Amino acid sequence: MKPKVILDKVGLWGTTAVAGMALILSMAPTTAKAVTIPTEVTELGKNTYEKYCSACHGEEGDGNGPVARSMLPKPRNFTRGAYKFRTTPSGSLPTDEDIFRTISYGIPNSTMIPWDILSEEERASVIPVLKSFSEAFEYRDPEPPVAVGLEVRPTERTIAEGKKIYEEKLECWKCHGVEGRGNGPSADEQEDDFGFPIKPFDFTTGKFKGGNSSTDIYLRFTTGLNGTPMPSFAKELTDEERWYLTHYVMSLVQPEESKKNKECK
Amino acid sequence: MQKLGLRLGLCLSAAMVFTSLAWANDQALKKEPPPDLYEGMPDWYRAVYKDNVGLSEGAGPFKDYFKPQMLDMYWQPNRHYEPMKNLDHSVFIEKGRRDLCVTCHEEATPGIVQDWRESAHKFPKRTPYLSSRTSEIEKHTGRVLDEVHCFDCHADTEKKQIRMPTGEVCGECHRKQFEDFLREREMGRPNHIQSWEANTIVPWYAEAARRGYLYGQHGCDMCHSGAEKCDVCHTRHKFSAAEGRQPEACITCHMGPDHPDAESYGESKHGVIYKQQEEHYDFTKPLAEVRPGKDYRTPTCQYCHMYEKHGRFIHNPVMKGIWRMGTIPPKNLEYTSSLKDYPYGIKIIGDKIDIYSEENIAKRSYWLEVCAKCHSDRFADTYLKSLDEFMFQAHTLADQAQKIVEDLIADGVLYPDASNRDPYPLSDGIEKMLSADFLGEPVYNAFKTLKGKFPVVGPILGVYGMFLQMQDNPSAIENMYNRLWFWYKLQGYKGTAHAQQDVSWWWGQAPMMMEFTRIQAEAARLRREAGIEQAAVEQAAMK
Repeated sequence: MKPKVILDKVGLWGTTAVAGMALILSMAPTTAKAVTIPTEVTELGKNTYEKYCSACHGEEGDGNGPVARSMLPKPRNFTRGAYKFRTTPSGSLPTDEDIFRTISYGIPNSTMIPWDILSEEERASVIPVLKSFSEAFEYRDPEPPVAVGLEVRPTERTIAEGKKIYEEKLECWKCHGVEGRGNGPSADEQEDDFGFPIKPFDFTTGKFKGGNSSTDIYLRFTTGLNGTPMPSFAKELTDEERWYLTHYVMSLVQPEESKKNKECK
Repeated sequence: MQKLGLRLGLCLSAAMVFTSLAWANDQALKKEPPPDLYEGMPDWYRAVYKDNVGLSEGAGPFKDYFKPQMLDMYWQPNRHYEPMKNLDHSVFIEKGRRDLCVTCHEEATPGIVQDWRESAHKFPKRTPYLSSRTSEIEKHTGRVLDEVHCFDCHADTEKKQIRMPTGEVCGECHRKQFEDFLREREMGRPNHIQSWEANTIVPWYAEAARRGYLYGQHGCDMCHSGAEKCDVCHTRHKFSAAEGRQPEACITCHMGPDHPDAESYGESKHGVIYKQQEEHYDFTKPLAEVRPGKDYRTPTCQYCHMYEKHGRFIHNPVMKGIWRMGTIPPKNLEYTSSLKDYPYGIKIIGDKIDIYSEENIAKRSYWLEVCAKCHSDRFADTYLKSLDEFMFQAHTLADQAQKIVEDLIADGVLYPDASNRDPYPLSDGIEKMLSADFLGEPVYNAFKTLKGKFPVVGPILGVYGMFLQMQDNPSAIENMYNRLWFWYKLQGYKGTAHAQQDVSWWWGQAPMMMEFTRIQAEAARLRREAGIEQAAVEQAAMK
């Protein structure tokens, strides 16, 4: 074998191995398993909250920090224990891991940036502080996370089934619009539990607030978004139907919109 | 043959390495010092205008007499900017997370992010023209510029803080434009680069502040913030050169009673044709490349005022100024009032203007070069000479009015007289903070001995009456005179200079005359009352 050919082979396998590793790493979900989340409020937690969170969420966690007044959507008010992005059933408190994930991932389309800029320890330290703002955590524990059923493979059929649910069974379009742009006829009437107007999600942006994976979106249909008009469909829809709806709303993403969003980063 | 090729290749690569090293060294040698707004100015300027004191004290020689408005941190960031305390942004700078600026601000302040996305900063190589300009900047900054990002202007990487960019920050890349702008100083005030100095060097600013009228001066601060910032003309966050070339870029400040530029240009034939045929003006072209008649049918503010000479344009609009906004008296008149002694030995005010100095005759020829793009030399010269004559007449009228007021003072009939009213603004501060070096011996001594208990009328120090009213100071007739010389004379000047006939007459010459009537009548009334009073005193003495 000529040396050049060997080099080519090494190059090819080397690249494949590196790319494979990168792919595996990028697929790894963000979890807090390796991080210890303190059970009590610590000095680190208080300081981190004060320095990085309180300007928006307020010193008392009421979502009324000094820069909150000009923000839309308004920063979360933690005093009711209502958390949107959870793995737990509708109405339940979130798990610590849920909160950690939202802090780390941020909430696209809002001023809540991904706070991965802070160390994992700092992010974890904030969790007991957030929980301390609501009495709910004193009286209740979060319910166990919902079971995520085996994902159905997305096909034209599952998307078509999802469309039927979107348009006929649940009439999602009334809020989210026929094309999924968040501009349905009832869109302007929506309010959250705190009395603020809330905009139905625009699926075309491709920036799903609770995460872009199909499991993330499936979870939103299963758990609902506490504190908002978006309910859970765990009862109305079968497990499979929730996957169909997931595939349909993912099909509403406009590649150009999501490209534009990426380009800004 | 193969070996030869290899050797040749090695030699060539070695040569390239050395060449690029040499080039890098050359670049290092050429590295310019950072741009400095106060370059060449005395140290005291830097100490009272540039050194950052946050909001703890004011600016200028009377900085100790007032604290600034909080807004002043945005108008004068070098001196007054304080980073947000309740939302610490330093972590983003420390960790170099440039991506997070847009992630947050496209929601928090979407308008400015969109502006930036459409700007040349976002795509510095979008067109061949931009690309060539960017490559020049890359050469002199030694940086590759594929995107100019929030961090590049807003991150103070030394202090690890957010900063509010000033012209100095812009000047790091836009060196030529910044240096051109700095050259306004050569002309002296009024200019843009010293407009914050002009705002706060006047004693009535601090006096108004300490009398509780700080926020009343909001309007002053808004325009006079043009000293440090480029976004006055090239607004945030597009910073568009084309926008800065449009007449509208000037008019937020250049309007109103003291300089109705917007009104006079806007309603002149030049301005009206611009409005009628706006779509035929190509503002994407640099001024030097504009073909008169094709790209612009009539001139814009920028086209005339930024034309320097001999076909060259300069990035500031004051270099050809002759009449200097019409406030400074010309040397070429015989004055009857104290204007003959202007500027009274005061060294921080420029001398009278010699309209026919060698420099001004040269400047006039540069004006004619601009006019000649469309007008005959004779027409343009005749027009501008008529402007000079208008100004001589207006200054003569002002001189007569000033003489009336000064005669009242000399005859002791100005009522209430200076000893029975509040002193000149901030007289205590003037005596303490300024010296004979600034004010000249006579004026400084007057403040020292009379403590400001003397009347001051006319340009420039007498204009305080339009900014501040103290107890009986100024009196009605003094402000009538202020209106005559500072409003109507300047309105007539702008109307005539910008070829707007109605502004020239009805906002200028006519009200000057009518104000002169009022001054004469008020003087007569004061003299009559003083005469009656004197007669009564004499009558009482005879009894």
